[in-house]
Formats: sequence, C-alpha cells, structure tokens
Amino acid sequence: MPIVQLQHVRKVYGAKVAVEDLSISIEPGTMFGLLGPNGSGKTSSIRMMIGISAPDSGSVSLFDQPFARKSLARVGYLPEERGLYKKMNVLDQLIFLGQLHYVSASVAEKRAREWCARLHIAEAIPKKTEDLSKGMQQKIQFIAALLHEPELIIMDEPFSGLDPVNAALLMDTLVDLRRQGRAVLFSTHRMDQVEKLCDNIALLHHGRLILSGSMREIKSSYPRNRILIHFEGGDGFLQNPNIETLQRYPGYAEIKLRSSATLAGDAQALLAEALRCARITHFEVTEPTLEQIFIEKVQEDSPGNGPNFPLDGIDEPEGSYLDA
Amino acid sequence: MPKLHAGSLRNVLLIARREYRERVRTRGFLITTIMIPLIMGGFVGGSIFLGSKTPSDTQIAVVSSDTQLALDLQTELERRQQPQLASAPKTPAHPASPAQVKRQARILVTAMDSGPGTRAELDSDLESGDLDGYLWITPAASPTGRPTFIYTSRSSTQASIKNALADALRQALLREQLAHRGVVAAEVDTMLQPVAIVTAQGVPREDHESTEISVFLLFFIMYLVIMLYGMNVARSIIEEKTSRIFEVLLATIRPEAMMAGKIIGVGSVGLTQVGIWLAAVLVLAASPIGIHLGGDAIHIALTAPQVIFFLIYFILGYAFYSSIAAALGAMTNSEQELQQLNMFLMLPLLFCFAMLGTLLSTPDSTAARILALIPPFTPLLMYLRVCLGHPAHWEVALSIALTLASIYGIIWVTSRIYRIGVLMYGKRPSLPEILRWLKYS
Repeated sequence: MPIVQLQHVRKVYGAKVAVEDLSISIEPGTMFGLLGPNGSGKTSSIRMMIGISAPDSGSVSLFDQPFARKSLARVGYLPEERGLYKKMNVLDQLIFLGQLHYVSASVAEKRAREWCARLHIAEAIPKKTEDLSKGMQQKIQFIAALLHEPELIIMDEPFSGLDPVNAALLMDTLVDLRRQGRAVLFSTHRMDQVEKLCDNIALLHHGRLILSGSMREIKSSYPRNRILIHFEGGDGFLQNPNIETLQRYPGYAEIKLRSSATLAGDAQALLAEALRCARITHFEVTEPTLEQIFIEKVQEDSPGNGPNFPLDGIDEPEGSYLDA
Repeated sequence: MPKLHAGSLRNVLLIARREYRERVRTRGFLITTIMIPLIMGGFVGGSIFLGSKTPSDTQIAVVSSDTQLALDLQTELERRQQPQLASAPKTPAHPASPAQVKRQARILVTAMDSGPGTRAELDSDLESGDLDGYLWITPAASPTGRPTFIYTSRSSTQASIKNALADALRQALLREQLAHRGVVAAEVDTMLQPVAIVTAQGVPREDHESTEISVFLLFFIMYLVIMLYGMNVARSIIEEKTSRIFEVLLATIRPEAMMAGKIIGVGSVGLTQVGIWLAAVLVLAASPIGIHLGGDAIHIALTAPQVIFFLIYFILGYAFYSSIAAALGAMTNSEQELQQLNMFLMLPLLFCFAMLGTLLSTPDSTAARILALIPPFTPLLMYLRVCLGHPAHWEVALSIALTLASIYGIIWVTSRIYRIGVLMYGKRPSLPEILRWLKYS
C-alpha cells in the first residue's frame, strides 16, 4: 500500500510549468529522496502532497485514498522556509502546533520535552523562538513536524543550513523513524545525503521526472567506469587514450573511462601505467556517484545547454551538487 | 462563503486562543489599556479644568473730566458683575462650591480725573502690571456730540473686556441721557432691567450634556479600537507571512479557518480592552472617589442600551473593518506596503469622525439618517443616532442587516484573496491579478 501516490500530476503557475506529468509512489518504511536543483519543482510537488496547492491535473493519494484534508493529521511537514512564531516561547509553540494536529496539550508537552532532550536543545524550551540560533530553530521546526507521530514525514530541505554535527543528528533521527515503519520523503540538492540515506529517489529537472527508482538499482545499472586515483609524482598516465573525461585536483583525479567491452581491463591497464610514473596511495573503480549520474541525466535532458547547464536557479552555492 | 465544519471550528478556536493569549500577555496591551483612558481622561479633564478655571480680575482705570460718567460706568460694571447675588442670594447653610457658581472675570474700575501727568503714570502702571488697561474719555466738543473713548490695554487678547466696557458705557450714557430728560432714577432702573431667558428642555440640561460626553467617549473608543485592532489583524497576517509560519499552518488547516481564528482572536483582545475600560468607568462612577473626583462636572451617565448597542455596533464595525484589513494583509508583504493601502481602512473611519459634529447636533436629520445606513459608516454613526437621536426601529434593524450582509460579502471576497495571497511572496499583486484570484479560487 503506497503511502503517497502522485499520478500524472501537473501544476502550472501563470506561464511557468512547475510540475509536468509527475508520477511517484512512496511505500511505508522507506526513505524517499526528491532531488533536483532549485526551481525544478520539488517544493511545488511537496505542496500538492500536503494540500497547500492542488494539482491542475492528475491525482494525489495519501494513505491509499484520494487526497483529503483529514489525512493531514497523519502527515508531518517541515517547510523549506522555516516558519515559527518569533515571539512565542518554544514549549507553547510546540504545544500549539501539536494541538493543531489533534494531540492533547499534555501529550504534546510531554513529547516536546522528550524530543528537545533527544535533539540536545532542552535548554531552549522556556526561551522565545527569536532568541534561538538558526540551527536550534530548525530543530524546533523539525520536532514540530514529528510531535503527532505522523506515519508520513515530508521534509523540504531538512538539512540545509545545519552544521555537519547537527545534520548528522537529524539524519540519524530520520533513519530511526524509517526503522519504526514511517515513510519519509525529503527533498534536497545534496546528492551525497541522498546516496547515504535513501531507498528510492526521484530526480526532477524543469518540473519533469528524469530518473526514478530504487537507489541500488539505479546505481547498478551504470557501468563501473569511474576511477578515483590519489597519487604523488608524475601525471603522464592521465594522457591515456581510454580516458573520456578527467577532473584534476591537487593530489588526486577523477576519471571517466570510455565505455568499451574491456572496461575492467582498461582500468587495470591505467593503474599499471600510473604505477610507472607515480606513487599511488588510493585507487578505486566504482559506478558513477549519484551526482555524476544526475549531471549526465540533466545534460541529456537539455543538450543545448552544454556543460554549464543548470546553474540557473541555484542560489545556494554551499553544498550544491556542483561542489566538485 | 467559507465552509466551516466541526474540525475547522476547533482549529478556528485554537488559532483564536493562541492569538488572544499571545496578545494579552504583551506589554503593548498593558500600555494601551492604561494609556488610552489616561489620554482621553486628560482631554476631558483638561477641558473641564480650563472651563472652570477662575479667570483673573482685570484692573482698569477710567480717566474722565466728567466724573459723573466715570462713576456711572463704575457702578454699571459692578451691577452687571453680580447677577448671581441678585437673583439667588446664598444662604450660609448651603455654601456653593466653586464649580457650581462659575465666577466670572471681574472688572475692577478706578475712576480718576485727568491731570497733566496722568497718562504717563497710567502707562507706567500698565507696564508694571498694576493695571490691565485704561479708558480715556475725552468729553464731547459740542453738547449734542458724543465723547470719544480710547481704550489702551496691556494685551490685545481682551475682546471680552472691550465688549463689556462698550456695553456698560452704552448703558451709562443711556442712563445719563434719560436723567437729562427728567426720568427718575428708579424708573430708569426698571426700564433697564436686564431680561433673563430661562432655558427649558425636555431633558434636564445637565443630563443631556453628560449623555453627550459619555456617548462621545464611547464613539471615540469604538473608532480607536476598530482602527487599532483592524490594523493589528493586517499586521499579524503580514508577520506570519514574513515568518512563513503560514506554510506550517496551511499544511493542517484551511485558510478560512486561519483567517477566522485570527479575526476572532484579535477582536477578543479588543473586546477585553474595552471591557476593562467600561468596568473601570462603572466602578469609578459608583465609588465615592469617582463622585468626589468627577463631581458634577463629569458625571458620566451610561445606560444599559448605550452599552448593549455599543457592543453590537462595535462587533459589527470590527468584523467589517478587520475583514478588509485581513485582505489588505494578505495582499501585501510588508508594513510599508500596508501603509500605502491602509487608506481603505482609514478613510471611511475618518469620514465618520468628520460627520461627528452633524450627528451630535442633528442626529435625526436626513443626512444623518442616510449616512447611518451605509455599511462602512453604520457602526459609528448609527450608534450615535441610537444614543442621541430617535431612529425608528426599522432603521436600526435595517442598519444591522445591511452591515451583516456586507460583512458576509467582504469575507467572501477576502477569503479568496487570502487563500492565494498568503502564499504569494514577492511583489504586490496588481488589481487584475486580484480579480483573477477571485475568479479562480
């Protein structure tokens, strides 16, 4: 029984097509990554799942039923733009948001305290929201989405703006929730997070689904044609004719080999050549990373854009998939 | 019209309760609750104080070679300055309080003959402040002519004294002329007896006055609270838009429920404030301190219908204006943008204020009757008519019905604007865009 099912969903804002023919399905106990650059339709898709907007065509089902507002009591939502009452104290705020999800005040208070302790922000409980750091506010928002123990957790960019320690804390929490059988959907443009966490993914570009399926299947459908090599010394081996593209960094290089029937042999030959001119500290042959898959997919999707493709619409340089 | 079912109603109350609790706890609420009555009390008290303040006496010298005229003038001025004593002699057992007997400014006159150094002497007295003015009478050149009078005063703001002097002079001259023609002094007195007009009204005058004062205060409170809390609704919507809390709320509740909750919550704060003021006024009016403080000067009379109709029209007015404010808040993204649009709120309210004079003097005129039936003006103007005039029952009923109908219409439009507007960030929508919202949502 899918927890969320979108079928051929289309959403248009004025002249801009935000989402076009999107079909995805999320099963209980899985973690789903919704990927794509900013402006690719992630937030628009999420808003249709939680009834903030309605699709122009296509259908949205929650818990195997056509969308109905009463289902929302079973959904936890963390919006992309954090929204909390600035002047309200944290506990009152959490209780209020819990009550909106049909949790009694006393239960909401108990859970709020437990969650704050778990996320190491117990000292924030009596404070006003505006007095908290951005990371703390984000944790409060995170807790607000979970107080009513939702079966479906939808989080729009949950880790953006968090330091690595806190991002890891929230990731671990989401993994725990999945283990309890909840369905978790989150959007991000950080491919490394998705690779680590997600069972299934959907890649959006210009509002269209360009890749979807289980993480493992997607990765294994790609040949092991990527080589990561750390070396000291001469780099003459990088002139090897089997190398299709090359990214050269201080001390290491990322290589994509030309596809051929003898791919595995080509890799070994490259290693042998490298050993002749340099000291090798690390040599790894893998399938492409999700980031590389994504870039390839997007390039296929918009061939006219050339190598500089999807920079438009990206306003958060830190942590974007263009890091490398 | 927004559909509100049981679940929504619960959410409306949750939103309203949050709004109410957060607002009542703020320092701003405490400050306005205390300051507004203080300011209004200051106005009323101040004007009463100024009105009852005993004006200082005026010291005047009359210079004339015709001593008789100077003396006549002196007696005439003294005569007209003691009307209270003549008509209602005080009994020692019942001393009048200063507030009851309004003392008038007295003009004290010294008659003197003109000598060579008189003018210089008077001028120096004027300068030193011993004298407030002097009247220089030059006798007539011919027996049939009139003497000339020149009044020199220290300040130019003494029109009332000049008038009193001119009056008294005319009387004195008349007296002199009559005496010349052989009329006996006693007869002259009878002839010149001042005519007293006693005002009689259906309502005793003092009561009517205090009704006007209390109704005016209630009108002002209604005006102020509607404007203040209407703007608060708009501001709080903008605040939630900028803090993006809307998205969290919209993920569980309907925009209509949010809007209703907000309007009810903020309005309840306004009602609480008004309630505190009314209770304070009633307690003060009933307590010995209040009677002592207010005395007869500010006897605030509140009748039950005045209070009930106040609440009815206050709630109608608040619902009317706060719904408009909610739409304005949903359409704008910042306080500055709101300020450009808040004339939609201010102008009708200010218009009511401008009409206050007409309504107070002629509450049952045709203009007043028509204006009071126009929904934006009904709450304030019909309330005045109910308190001060004699509107027909059907007029009151019609005014309420019309206002309710227009509130319904405004909420219909506002909830549509609201539903889309709250999720629109960035630029302010143009009029065609708003019309499109109305069509599509």
